[in-house]
Amino acid sequence: MQEGHDVEQVNPTRMELIKKNAQIRLAEQGRDLLKEKMDALIQEFFQIMETVSTSRNELEILSEAARRSLLAAQAVDDSVALASASFASKRLISLDIKGRNIMGVPVPIIEKRSVSRTICERGYSIIGVSGRIDETAEKFERELDLIIGLAETETALRRLGGEIQMTRRRVNALEQVMIPELKKQAKYIRITIEEREREDLFRLKKVKKILDRKKKIKTEKIAGLPQSVLQEIAIETE
Amino acid sequence: MISVYIEYVNARVRGMKRHLMDREFFEKLMNKPDIDAIITELEKTPYHEAIEKASVQSSGIRLIDQALRFNLVQTYRLILSLVRDEAFEKHVRIFLEKWDIQNIKTIIRGKNVHVPGDEILACLVPAGQLDEVTLIELIKQPDVRGVIDLLATWDIAYARPLTERFGKYAEKKDLAILEYALDRFYYERALQLLARRSIDDRNVRDLITMEIDVVNIKSVLRLIRDGVKPEDGKNVLIDGGKILDMQALLDLLNTASVRAARAALKDTPYSFLSTLTKKRQGNELISEYEKELDRYLIEQGIGMFKGDPLSIAGTIGYIAAKNNEITNIRIISHCKGAYLPEEEIREEVLYV
Repeated sequence: MQEGHDVEQVNPTRMELIKKNAQIRLAEQGRDLLKEKMDALIQEFFQIMETVSTSRNELEILSEAARRSLLAAQAVDDSVALASASFASKRLISLDIKGRNIMGVPVPIIEKRSVSRTICERGYSIIGVSGRIDETAEKFERELDLIIGLAETETALRRLGGEIQMTRRRVNALEQVMIPELKKQAKYIRITIEEREREDLFRLKKVKKILDRKKKIKTEKIAGLPQSVLQEIAIETE
Repeated sequence: MISVYIEYVNARVRGMKRHLMDREFFEKLMNKPDIDAIITELEKTPYHEAIEKASVQSSGIRLIDQALRFNLVQTYRLILSLVRDEAFEKHVRIFLEKWDIQNIKTIIRGKNVHVPGDEILACLVPAGQLDEVTLIELIKQPDVRGVIDLLATWDIAYARPLTERFGKYAEKKDLAILEYALDRFYYERALQLLARRSIDDRNVRDLITMEIDVVNIKSVLRLIRDGVKPEDGKNVLIDGGKILDMQALLDLLNTASVRAARAALKDTPYSFLSTLTKKRQGNELISEYEKELDRYLIEQGIGMFKGDPLSIAGTIGYIAAKNNEITNIRIISHCKGAYLPEEEIREEVLYV
């Protein structure tokens, strides 16, 4: 009902038809470009996804190992020794976040120094802190490194995913709504113009027929008049 | 007179030793289904008082941890009270002062990063010379400098190494400088106190020098594993070991790998490190070697029970055995709390 109404609102002129055809060409060109962009984004998406997937698996394994080490350290060294060591190794982690573009999608690049430290850099004396606590710290530091790396790639992945979804919606809107609608309008204009041309032709033919008939009647009437009347008409005409 | 009193102390310690848990008790704990069952079992032992006290503040695994700490503090304070003002007090003190070192480290660590006082207090175990009230006063100080100044005001010996190294710490902002100074001071002072030729001095010195060896071996293995340069690593080492002098330690530090370092210990009493099962060696985890070294040290400590009954050896043995017992209960409880299978708990249990 709505579509019919839209079509009816279109001005069925030749100018409008040219305009619509131009719009269709532009929309098709846009759709093709968006499809190409989507393909490139998907390719990039899967490449990053592979990295994310590997990192996630690595993170799960590392996280399990870190929890295990933590359990051992809490069990053998007591949680207070662990908390005490954590005071010594407490520090801020500074991250520098920059950005880059993947097919127009801004993704973050996290520039950081490695969180992992050697035993001499953790701020405590290794004499009073057991190797279990060190191993726990080492595993959690590596886990943190991985998490920061993952934050970068997962954000990129999420943004690329969002862009792919948006591009797909745009392609779908062009392909399934806009282009068919424009084509429908162009078709309507074409049909209307053709119809109008046919009507004009028919009207012209009709007029011609009427004129011919009138001419014929006139001729017949003239032919039926006496010679003297005809001469008078000729003189009047002159 | 001294010998009469040592007999009294040893009799008391022997009485306390009878209350130590045996292997059967640990097996029983391992067979308990959960933490609550372990708590119930501990309530039937000399830990019941500590459990009762801890249950006011916490529950579950925290309750056990806290109760074990309460019991440890109570036991060591009792031992300190038994030997107070006696000639052999210094021998007991040497072992209990480790807790003071640990507590001072915790306080300066907390002050260094502005940890709230109650959080620092929760991490202290007042089982040494410094009691809870003293430690609370130290916590009240605004910064590391304040803590060191207060220690100096009270004429506590640990102030000396801290004051000496404070300038370097202030310059580099590296807390490890103060901690190493404390650790070094502890062992140097212990060796100085044990310079006499008495049997007690000799026995305790043997144990302390053995501990220095163990501490140094652990440090060397960790330094090698982390790829720390030998010239940086040598600052961590402590002089005065029983078997390994500084040169031997430096040679050990210059070995290419943990495996090579273990091989270099072949002709020492620590050769057991190279006989670890292949599975445990394969991990190349320093904690595996540490576990063996700690077990060795505990065995040596507990072995003091067999020493002269008229010496302080029995008391030192008891301190080691008590520490071992508490560690074992904690390991079993934590492993049970994490639902680890029994075989894995057995692997984790250190020194049964």
